[in-house]
Amino acid sequence: MTAIVESERRPGGFGGWLGHISEVLGGIPAGYRDALRQHRTRTIILTVLAILFLTYPILNRFVLQGFSRNVFPLPIPDDTVLTFMLIFSIMAVGLNIVAGFAGLLDLGYVAFYAIGAYTAAFLASPHFGVVSIVLLANVPQGFPGIHIPFWFIVPLAMIIAGTFGALLGAPTLRLRGDYLAIVTLGFGEIVPVVFRNLADVTIRFNFLFINFSAEHLNLTGGPLGINPIDAPYLPGLGIIFNASSGFAPVYLAMILLALGVLFARNLERSRIGRAWMAIREDELAAEMMGVHTVRTKLLAFALGASFAGIAGSLQASYLGATTSDFFQFSTSILVLIMVILGGIGNIWGVIVGAVAIQYVNLTLLPYLGQQIQSIAPSFPNPAQFNFLFFGLILVVMMRFRPEGFIPNRQRAAQLSAHVLAAAAAERGEVIGLDNTGLDIDENVELAPPGQSEVGQDARSAETTDEARDL
Amino acid sequence: MDQIVQTFIIGLSNGLIFALVALGYSLVYGIIELINFAHGDVFMLGSMIALLLISGVFGVTAATPPLMIVVIVAAVILITMAVTATINVTIERLAYRPLRNAPKLAPLISAIGMSFVLQNIALLVAGPANKSIDNILPPVNLLSYIGVNTVELSFRQVFVAVVTVPLLIGMSWFVAKTKQGKAMRATAQDPDTAGLMGVDVNRTIAFTFLIGGALAGAAGVVQILYNNVTVWNLGFRFGLNAFTSAVLGGIGNLPGAVLGALVLGQINAFSDRYVAANWTNAIVFMVLIGVLVFKPTGLLGQQLADRA
Repeated sequence: MTAIVESERRPGGFGGWLGHISEVLGGIPAGYRDALRQHRTRTIILTVLAILFLTYPILNRFVLQGFSRNVFPLPIPDDTVLTFMLIFSIMAVGLNIVAGFAGLLDLGYVAFYAIGAYTAAFLASPHFGVVSIVLLANVPQGFPGIHIPFWFIVPLAMIIAGTFGALLGAPTLRLRGDYLAIVTLGFGEIVPVVFRNLADVTIRFNFLFINFSAEHLNLTGGPLGINPIDAPYLPGLGIIFNASSGFAPVYLAMILLALGVLFARNLERSRIGRAWMAIREDELAAEMMGVHTVRTKLLAFALGASFAGIAGSLQASYLGATTSDFFQFSTSILVLIMVILGGIGNIWGVIVGAVAIQYVNLTLLPYLGQQIQSIAPSFPNPAQFNFLFFGLILVVMMRFRPEGFIPNRQRAAQLSAHVLAAAAAERGEVIGLDNTGLDIDENVELAPPGQSEVGQDARSAETTDEARDL
Repeated sequence: MDQIVQTFIIGLSNGLIFALVALGYSLVYGIIELINFAHGDVFMLGSMIALLLISGVFGVTAATPPLMIVVIVAAVILITMAVTATINVTIERLAYRPLRNAPKLAPLISAIGMSFVLQNIALLVAGPANKSIDNILPPVNLLSYIGVNTVELSFRQVFVAVVTVPLLIGMSWFVAKTKQGKAMRATAQDPDTAGLMGVDVNRTIAFTFLIGGALAGAAGVVQILYNNVTVWNLGFRFGLNAFTSAVLGGIGNLPGAVLGALVLGQINAFSDRYVAANWTNAIVFMVLIGVLVFKPTGLLGQQLADRA
């Protein structure tokens, strides 16, 4: 019987369920066999989904788009839409750190997206033509402007956006709830205004013996923004990732998203992740338990912002241009809708939310618009009123399903704690009848992996975390 | 000097319109601690309805006899107030009341959603372009009658004051002196206890939204007659200005909201004139952030220290 428990403790991964089956054949309790079956089904589903996810861009380009073009028009996303789905997934994962893990509603998240985009614009474009710094980039030496490869810009954008996240987060630490939301909204509005207005800057500095003057500096390109921006370039294979290079940028975005998810998942399970959740549930109690609330909240802002930095630099490099018009309040809200629709606090949920919302926003509504316009030209085009639907989504979700469609397990558990407690008791009984001689704690271990964590929620976050890591 | 006085007059008119909208924010926040994000958009709908009534339904032009204009403007104000009050109460019923016991951020998110819904309804009906009407108020400088020609106090600026000041005074009187006002104050202090004392809490909250909506409607009419132009996303910027006013004065505090609005009107006007119009928004937001961070109780607020 110990073997069962041991095998349960093995690290998962694809094929892990095979080990379970081979080791526990014969003499296993019925409840546990069901659990294994469920786990296996889950693994298969996940594997299929992962393969679909990885092959979809190719399938989309060579099969679905062709079908849509030549046979029957269907709302099939093009490569740009796919890229933007993933760029916004990165943002949603980042906002989920701030809003989902730490429970700090950030309504100005777009500011960091803008900072990421302008980082790429400053460091990989001919904008600062007075200098010529070409570092390992895909442009000839001596070309005007600063040119740094995308691969260096991404970490820089993360650091810069993260720094601004901490800077902007610092004054808000005393605030809670709605006041914090409004202050972040203010930052989100100020940052694009700054980028828009710093097109003609005159600095005169005259103090004691220091005399410095620079007139009419165009720092940000004003309302026109900055273009062209160098596209990401992979030297070995010679691939350029821009809007005209097919599905290559989709995979680039996919890799960045995968790294982001890996990072976010590890954060969630780390000490800092537990501290965020403690703050989210009860800031005062968390502080009493020794959580350093100031540092923890600053980290949430900084790390969340760094994801928007990645997304922004990717967006600007991919499109090859950026203007302050990209970064509006509605973009912040769009990301918030993705997070809420998918399931606040759940990384997979928010990615599904981002993909779904961007699909509706960039493919389905324009498609419906075209179809409607071709039948009744005077009828309003739904693509222009996308935020009518998105606003309704917010209202309806808050009313009927505030935890989102793929909720965070802990949150779902809190919402229906008594139901799950009853279910756990029932499981304990079934296994007890099998006369396994295990005590109650190990009964919980025997529960299917997907459900066991719910049962453990009654225990401390510390225990839950250990159980997941094992 | 003339320029400063002129800027001050413009700021005063701005501030009075802000005050009407700011009161709606402050009333609602005072009573259910909700930043009614959609309130600015109710104001925008008010200006749209007024525009429709003035130029569409009544067909008023600058050539209409003055007495007719007075009567029609009075009617437009009343009708618009009634409509926006109804809209605001409906929003409360649909989007906020079901969330009364939800975590505090849920109604805020719902309000943001509602704000986008209202904006897009206006966009759907009125289209994306600015909508404007003829100036139907006499374009005269009242100060020229007393021999001052360098500073302009136009008739419409006086009109703003004529409409807003009585409403603001009436509002303060209502909340301070009437039985319904007392119920509102009781609910703001402690809804549960107020309920035990026989106050119908749901009705009182709905009534608060009714008043807030009516004031926003009046502000909408004043704004369209003062600026002669409105647009579907006017409510966002204007609403944030009004919310900043309410916060500046101490949210939940009605005289504070009016004071905050008057101060913010001046900040707007002086920033437009002496800094640059394209920085005004950023300056307003800096004021908002500064107040929230350093003095969350605002200029006159007292009871809200624990909320921030």
